[in-house]
Amino acid sequence: MTDLWVALLSLFAVWTGWRVFRVDSMVRASFSLMLSFIAVGAIGVLLSAPYIGVATVFMMAVEMMVMAIFMVMFMMNPAGLNPMVMVHQHRLSIGAGVVAALSLGAAVLFSRPPEDAVRAEADVVAELGHELLGPSMLIFETAGVTLLATMVGAVILSSRQGRFGAADEGSRPPGLSDGGAPAGRQPEGGGGHHHHHHHGGHG
Amino acid sequence: MTVLLLVLAVCATLLAGVVLAALLDRALPELAGTLSRQRIETEAPDRMNRDLAPAFYLALAAVGLSVVPFAPGLALIDSPVGVVIWGTCEALTIIVVFLHGWSPNAPFPLIGAYRYAAIGLPVMLPSMFVLIAAALPAESLSLVAIVDSQREVWNVLRQPLGLPLFLVVALTLTLRGPMDFADAADIAGGTSAEDSGAGRALWQVARLAMLVSVSAVAATVFLGGPLGPVLPGPVWLWLKTAALMAVLVWLGNRVARTTPSRMLTILWVVLLPLSCADLVISGVVAL
Repeated sequence: MTDLWVALLSLFAVWTGWRVFRVDSMVRASFSLMLSFIAVGAIGVLLSAPYIGVATVFMMAVEMMVMAIFMVMFMMNPAGLNPMVMVHQHRLSIGAGVVAALSLGAAVLFSRPPEDAVRAEADVVAELGHELLGPSMLIFETAGVTLLATMVGAVILSSRQGRFGAADEGSRPPGLSDGGAPAGRQPEGGGGHHHHHHHGGHG
Repeated sequence: MTVLLLVLAVCATLLAGVVLAALLDRALPELAGTLSRQRIETEAPDRMNRDLAPAFYLALAAVGLSVVPFAPGLALIDSPVGVVIWGTCEALTIIVVFLHGWSPNAPFPLIGAYRYAAIGLPVMLPSMFVLIAAALPAESLSLVAIVDSQREVWNVLRQPLGLPLFLVVALTLTLRGPMDFADAADIAGGTSAEDSGAGRALWQVARLAMLVSVSAVAATVFLGGPLGPVLPGPVWLWLKTAALMAVLVWLGNRVARTTPSRMLTILWVVLLPLSCADLVISGVVAL
């Protein structure tokens, strides 16, 4: 019964993963990917890893929500409503896909999965906790602090407020043609010296 | 047999809770009226997400309620990671509300969707901190164990910051009052601005069902859930849940909503440090 569920969930994960590249919006792509991860999380629960399985769904739900927002921002696709193509650089991506599929497939076929079944009375969540905060503590703490530093750095880099004034002060958008006039709306008065910026309410 | 009874208990609680919530909200006549109304179509909607969002919202409320123990040691989903399952329901609620606003392909729902995502994501952090803090004295992520850990003293006394912070989370999850950045009147009903007919009624019912679930979880985590003298466990849980529902409805009606940018500041600068303090205090007390 568990085998059947794992097979069905795997098929669902692959199908939703494939949908990521076939849908026409970053919002749909993000949440297709989330469905794929939910199926993987459910497989984790079936394989006696309840914490990892449920936490995967939890993390992916939050992450895919963030990803949808950021992708819509970066893709200049108003609110993620305009149809757009999800694939680019076809030849390179086909090559990378084939190489990745072959190497992952080889890894699956040539590695020996553990054969000892999980004991029925094993407290897997507590054991995982002892592992994370015991022998593997250095790895996880290093990864955690690195991620935190990355997030703080990303927030600082993307923040408009800075020690030396607003980040976009004096910036010029690139021209539409090579060396042409800056694109977009020009400030009134031709960008004079007494240009008053009104720094908006960022908290 | 026990499983069947628990399924019945979850369904009955949701049903009775939705009726009680509708009475508290004085929304019963409006709900009945919407049900019979004709459905309005927007231009080029995402039909699948539009139709599925209310159903998923309702399903998340049902899953959230089924990790709640109705008697000490007796929950439909008796998982060692019950609190994490509830947290997952919270995170998926944000996505469901976002998709509900995104799918009609119309301005007001879309504004509601993005506003709610911006507020809902930072609300997840205090939520996780107070839930982990509640798990500390129990030394377990299971809600059954968390109830057992409150036999001497309820978490609401041991961790005084926990319940108020969780009520903010509850207001966010049920799109209510000060935390209603999704369906508020200032954007003409937000994510449900284009809803009508049965779909609208189902969305409102799902909001009320989520009110029942989040109140039941709060009652379990902070008020000892089914623990109490004389009366049987389920009755205590129902009483505590109903009391918290009334508190949430009252707060939703009494507390004003501020602008999203100011609310973001409050969330990151006030509520997040408070929830960190809650976690530290609970950790020290649990030692």
